[in-house]
Amino acid sequence: MRGEAQRVPLDREVIVTWISREILPHEAGVRAWLRRAWPHRQDHQDIIQEAYCRLAGAALEQVHNPRAFFFQIIRNLLLEEMRRARVVRFRALSDLDSLGLADDLPSCERVVLARDELQQIHALLAAMPARRRRIFEMRKIEDLSQKDIAARLGVSENVVENETAKALKTILKAFSEASPAQDGAKIEYEHDAGRPVRLG
Amino acid sequence: MSMTQDDPSDWVDECAADWVVRLDRLHIEPHESADLQAWLGQDVRRQGAFLRAQAAWARLDGLGAPGAVAVPARHGLRHRPDRRAFWAGGMAAGAALALGGGALLRRDSRLTTTVGEVRRVPLQDGSVATINTDSTLSLGFEPQTRRIALGKGEAWFQVAKDSARPFVVEAGLVRVMAVGTAFSVRRRNGAEEVIVTEGVVQAWRADVPGRRLTLRAGERARIASQGAPWTRVEQKAALEQSLAWREGEIVLSGQPLAQAVAEFNRYNEVKLAVDDPALADQTLVGRFDANDPEGFAQAVGIALRTPVVQVEGSIRLGRAGG
Repeated sequence: MRGEAQRVPLDREVIVTWISREILPHEAGVRAWLRRAWPHRQDHQDIIQEAYCRLAGAALEQVHNPRAFFFQIIRNLLLEEMRRARVVRFRALSDLDSLGLADDLPSCERVVLARDELQQIHALLAAMPARRRRIFEMRKIEDLSQKDIAARLGVSENVVENETAKALKTILKAFSEASPAQDGAKIEYEHDAGRPVRLG
Repeated sequence: MSMTQDDPSDWVDECAADWVVRLDRLHIEPHESADLQAWLGQDVRRQGAFLRAQAAWARLDGLGAPGAVAVPARHGLRHRPDRRAFWAGGMAAGAALALGGGALLRRDSRLTTTVGEVRRVPLQDGSVATINTDSTLSLGFEPQTRRIALGKGEAWFQVAKDSARPFVVEAGLVRVMAVGTAFSVRRRNGAEEVIVTEGVVQAWRADVPGRRLTLRAGERARIASQGAPWTRVEQKAALEQSLAWREGEIVLSGQPLAQAVAEFNRYNEVKLAVDDPALADQTLVGRFDANDPEGFAQAVGIALRTPVVQVEGSIRLGRAGG
């Protein structure tokens, strides 16, 4: 998983963009699996955070199936922990296997996921206090800098920064709490070969 | 997980969001901020949360545009073999646990289970016998007594109250008597084992009827099956583990591999064997399907980093060159 020593590290911006497009949309599915396979663990968020750290150091340019890769990282984290603790839970392992080997989502599912996500984000924005929503829209939709937003609204840059951060936290938290539409456990679709496959 | 900090994960996420927005305001690169580097420190969770927050921030770019949120490209859809099917191939011999199967019962009848089978059988008096793998029971219900002979194996009895008719289980020379209670009896080499889950039972040896042992809920006793009539009673025994077989499970809590393997072999025709003596003492923790030795072997292979090979109806653990 770690790249070889001579590998040139990817630019941070490239990594962030790739993660935002290829990994983030699958987080809900990973969480759904964690909840199903490890319902009693309290540290799902810790596992997710540690997985993202691994992703930052991985040879992403060699990844062909990001969703499977994400699951593979989670799997490795759990396996390493099992080895340390000498705890073996076969059911979790076999579940993990079936997920790690699952094919990537077909394109129609991806579009549905993205559309649901967009709706979700707009719903979150709609529920925010008016000033926060306005600031966030100016920053992310109208692409104004924080400084320009402060000047236009006649507030300090600190206010803009605080409101923007609060909006981002709300959205991040929503990503952590998968909506039913994004909960892969509930989505079934026909595989290319006509075989029903249970996702996530 | 390997962590150096004990911050709650929600707090880590919030700090990560603060950092992303602060960098956005000041137009500096993440690696240029010494404060950020100090915060990221050695905690991999912080590093992961920061990357995730950055990714979420990037994903929100151009939110208003039509078709805004990026649809990830589809990558490498390839056919892969289903490993579970591979394991299932060797599982044919592992008979399904037939819990809840209400076998019809004649008076004075014999009840048997095959290897890997667990049967739950209602008896004519309202008691229930749950019979473990590879066991034989003979029932002799009479007006004055309810007698059950455990020929081999193990069974757990939930005894219907009937003070006029004691319920007596015979295991070799050992007798276990209850009025209304729940207990199990298992035949083992050299000793019979009695576990009481509810109420009180009396146990004794048929050749020493005057020496009776009173056992209460939560106690496990081993009684010599022949020779000197020694007994050993354990209080607060881990009963749920010992009786996990009722749910078709084997529960390990630090038992050595050799013992775990012996336990699996009680339930399955596909036998496990430990070829590397160094492995036999390795202890394991876990909860397994009793009739899935392949799954257990696979888990052991991963946990102990040892080869697992299937050879003619057996599974060898730790075989060199396997």
